[in-house]
Amino acid sequence: MSPVFPMLTVLSMFYYICLRRRARTATRGEMMNSRRAIESNNRALPINVEIVQYAKEVLDFSSHYGSENSMSYTMWNLAGIQNVYPSSGDFTQTAVFRTYGTWWDQCPSARLPFKRTPPNFYSQDYVELAFEDPVYPTAVHILETYHPGAVVRVLACSANPYSQNPPAEVRWEVLWSEAPTKVNGPQARQFTPCIKQINFPTNLIRLEVNSSLLDYYTELDAVVLHGVKERPVLSLKTTMIDMNDIDEDEDEEKDGGGMESLNKQFSVAALKEWPTNGYFDKLPYELIQLILSHLTVPDLCRLAQTCKLLYQHCCDPLQYIHLSLQPYWARINDTSLEYLQSRCTLVQWLNLSWTGNRGAISVSGFSRFMKICGSELVRLELACGHFLNETCLEVIAETCVNLQELNLSSCDKLPPQAFNHIAKVGSLKRLILYRTKVEQTALLSILNFCSELQHLSLGSCVMIEDYDLIASMMGAKCKKLRTLDLWRCKNITENGIAELASGCQLLEELDLGWCPTLQSSTGCFTNIARKLPNLQKLFLTANRSVCDTDIEELAANCTHLRQLDILVNTDHQMWSVIWDLLHYCCLQSILSCIVSHCPLEKQAKHFIQQQAVALQKTSKGCQN
Amino acid sequence: MGIGVADGVGGWRDYGVDPSQFSGTLMRTCERLVKEGRFVPSNPVGILTTSYCELLQNKVPLLGSSTACIVVLDRTSHRLHTANLGDSGFLVVRGGEVVHRSDEQQHYFNTPFQLSIAPPEAEGVVLSDSPDAADSTSFDVQLGDIILTATDGLFDNMPDYMILQELKKLKNSNYESIQQTARSIAEQAHELAYDPTYMSPFAQFACDNGLNVRGGKPDDITVLLSIVAEYTD
Repeated sequence: MSPVFPMLTVLSMFYYICLRRRARTATRGEMMNSRRAIESNNRALPINVEIVQYAKEVLDFSSHYGSENSMSYTMWNLAGIQNVYPSSGDFTQTAVFRTYGTWWDQCPSARLPFKRTPPNFYSQDYVELAFEDPVYPTAVHILETYHPGAVVRVLACSANPYSQNPPAEVRWEVLWSEAPTKVNGPQARQFTPCIKQINFPTNLIRLEVNSSLLDYYTELDAVVLHGVKERPVLSLKTTMIDMNDIDEDEDEEKDGGGMESLNKQFSVAALKEWPTNGYFDKLPYELIQLILSHLTVPDLCRLAQTCKLLYQHCCDPLQYIHLSLQPYWARINDTSLEYLQSRCTLVQWLNLSWTGNRGAISVSGFSRFMKICGSELVRLELACGHFLNETCLEVIAETCVNLQELNLSSCDKLPPQAFNHIAKVGSLKRLILYRTKVEQTALLSILNFCSELQHLSLGSCVMIEDYDLIASMMGAKCKKLRTLDLWRCKNITENGIAELASGCQLLEELDLGWCPTLQSSTGCFTNIARKLPNLQKLFLTANRSVCDTDIEELAANCTHLRQLDILVNTDHQMWSVIWDLLHYCCLQSILSCIVSHCPLEKQAKHFIQQQAVALQKTSKGCQN
Repeated sequence: MGIGVADGVGGWRDYGVDPSQFSGTLMRTCERLVKEGRFVPSNPVGILTTSYCELLQNKVPLLGSSTACIVVLDRTSHRLHTANLGDSGFLVVRGGEVVHRSDEQQHYFNTPFQLSIAPPEAEGVVLSDSPDAADSTSFDVQLGDIILTATDGLFDNMPDYMILQELKKLKNSNYESIQQTARSIAEQAHELAYDPTYMSPFAQFACDNGLNVRGGKPDDITVLLSIVAEYTD
C-alpha cells in the first residue's frame, strides 16, 4: 500500500471531524440562532420574512375531556391565541385530552397492547391544526399551561386543508419526535422542540401526545407556527444531524415507503438463488418464525428482501396473526393493504386506528381487504377512522363472523345508520363507541343481540336521547357486562342506575363522570355500592351530590375498589369517611385510590398515601 | 357585537362566596362565546343559556348567582336583540326620549330573577331561575341611538328624566365623551344612593307597596353606554 492512502484517510477523517464539529455546534445553538439565521437571510433575500401564526382551526383529534359543543376543556381551545398562558393551573379555556397517567391501563377495561410496536412509537392521542398560510416551518411553540411534557411528536403535512383541489400527494413529515420524559412540576411553559427542516411548505401541523408520565391532565393553550414563505437556502448551519434521525424513518423514506417498493421488487425481479441458506437451513421452521416474531413489520418487509427462504418466512400468514399498522398511520394506504392482503388471511388482531384519512384508504380498498382477511378477525381497532362509512360497517358485519372486539372510538364522521350493522355481530364482547353518533335504536338493537358483551364504552355519545332506557336494556340483556363507560351521559337517572345495578351484577368498572342528573339523595350511589360488590373502578367525576353515606356504603360493600374518582369538598367529614374507605377495603389495592378534581388534590393524595402506609404497618392484612 | 351586564347577588358573602366571581365569569364566558362566533345574533337568550351551561363545566364548582342583561347588535339587519333576566336592564334613547326599555323581572320585592349555582346541600333552597326565563325583545335601531345598559343600582336611584338630562349633555360620539357621560351618570347615581331624604325610584316603589321608606339605595352601580354609529374598520 502506497503512503498516499493513509494520508488520504487521515485527511478525510480530519475533514469529517471538522464537519461534524460544525454540525454539532449548529445543533446546539440552532434554536437560538435560527432567528439570526433568518435575519441574516433577510439581508441577503429580503423577501424571506418570517411569519408567525396561531392555529386557525382544529381539524381533528382523538379525544378530549370536555363535552361536545362546549368551550370547556375541549380540543377546539387549541385554535387561536392563548387564553391562559403564561398563567399555570386548571382552566376551562384550555385543550385537554381524555386521559392521563396509567390509570386507564390498570383498570378492568384495559386492553392488551399489540406486540411488535416499534420502540419509537409512544403516541396515545393526537390533534391536527390548520394554519392560514403554508410556510416552511422554522419553529413550533407549544404553550402548555398545566402539567406540561406530554407532546412526543410533531408532524407536518404537505396537503393544504383549505385548497379547493384535492392534493396530488399527501405526505407527512416528522418534525420532531422524542420519548416521553418527566417534567418537574405542573407550571406553564412554552415548549419549543428542535424541529427539522422540510422541503415542502405546510399549514397542517399534527401533535401527538403521551400522558403516561403525568400526574394530572396536561392542558394546552395554543400552538404558534413560525415559518418562511420562500424555501430557505439549506446550509450546513441550519441542517441538523441528529443521531435519533438515523433510524427507520429515514430508511423508510429511501425505500419509498417500505412495503410497497419491496413488493414491487418481488413481483418482477428474480431473487438471487443461493445454493444454501447456511445455518438457517438447519433451524426448524417454527424457530425461524419465532425469531421473526420479534421484528417490527417494516423490518419484516426488509428481511423478506434478503433471500428466498426468508421471503417465504416473512410472507407467511402466521407472522401476521397480530398486526398493528397504527404506528405507520402516515404511510398506510390502499396499496399497502393490497400488498398485505395475501399475508393477512389469518389475521386475528388488526389495528388500523388513525390510518386512512385524507384519502389514503378508500371504502373499496378497505372492503376488499376485509373480504379477504376478515374471516378470522377477533379484534379490530378503527379509532379515528374517518374514511369509514356505512358500507364499511356492513362489510365488517358480513365478513368478521368471529369478531369479539370492535373499537370505533372518535369515528365521529360515521353516519348514525352505519351502526345498525353492528347488531349482526353477535359474538361481540367489547364495543367502543366513544364520541360517535350512534343513535338510540341502533344501540338498543346492539344490546339486544350482542348478549356476550362484557365491555361497552358509550362515553360522549350525544345522540342517545334516553339513557335510562339504554340502562334498562343493558340490565335485561347484557348480563355478562363487566365494564361500562357512561362518561357524560347527560340524562341517566336513578331509575336507569337501578335497572343497571340489578341486571349487570358482574360489573367491575363503571364510569359515571359528569352525569349531572344523578343525585345522591335518590340513593342511586348507595344502590350501586350494595348491588355491585365486584366494583374495582367507580368514577363519579364532578358529581357534587356525592355524600359521606355514599362513601361509607362503598367502603362497606365494595372491598375490591381500586380506583375512585369523586369530588371531594373541603368538608372535614369527607376525610374521615375516606379513612373508613381505606380501612375496610383491601389495603393493597386501595393504595392507588385517586381522589381527582379536588382543589386540594395534592394534599388529598398525600393524606391518603400517608394513611394507607400507616394502616399497612398496623393491620394484619385482609381478604381479597 | 354584544354588550352584557351582570349583577352578582351580594348575599353570598355571608356564606364565604365572593359574589363577583359568578357574575364576572358569566360575562367573560359570554364574551368568549361572542368572540368565537358561537352564537346567533337574533338569539341572545341562547348566549345566556350556553354561557350558563359552560359555567357548569367547571370542575371546581363556581358558586353564586346573578342577574344578566345581554344586548346584541346585528350590523347587517340594523336590529338590536336583547335578553334580560332579573332587574338589570337597558334603555334605548332616541332624540332625547326613551324608545325601548327592558322590564324588570322580580319574584317578589327586591328578589330579582337570577341565574345561580348553589352548593349541593342548598339546592332547592336557593333561588335559581333557568336562562330560558329571560325576557327577549328585538327591534330596529338607527344611527345616533344611545343604548344604556346598567345594573339596578342605577335604575333604583335615578329616574328616567335624570338619566335623559345627563345623556343630553353628550355632545359627540367619540370615546372620551361617552366615557365621561357614563361616569357622570354612575357618579350621580352613587351620590343619590346615599342621600337619606331623596325620594329615589326604589323608595317610591317601596312606598307604593306599603313600606314607608325614603332615601336612595346604596348598591353597586355599573353603567355601560354605547351609541349606534357608522361601522369603521
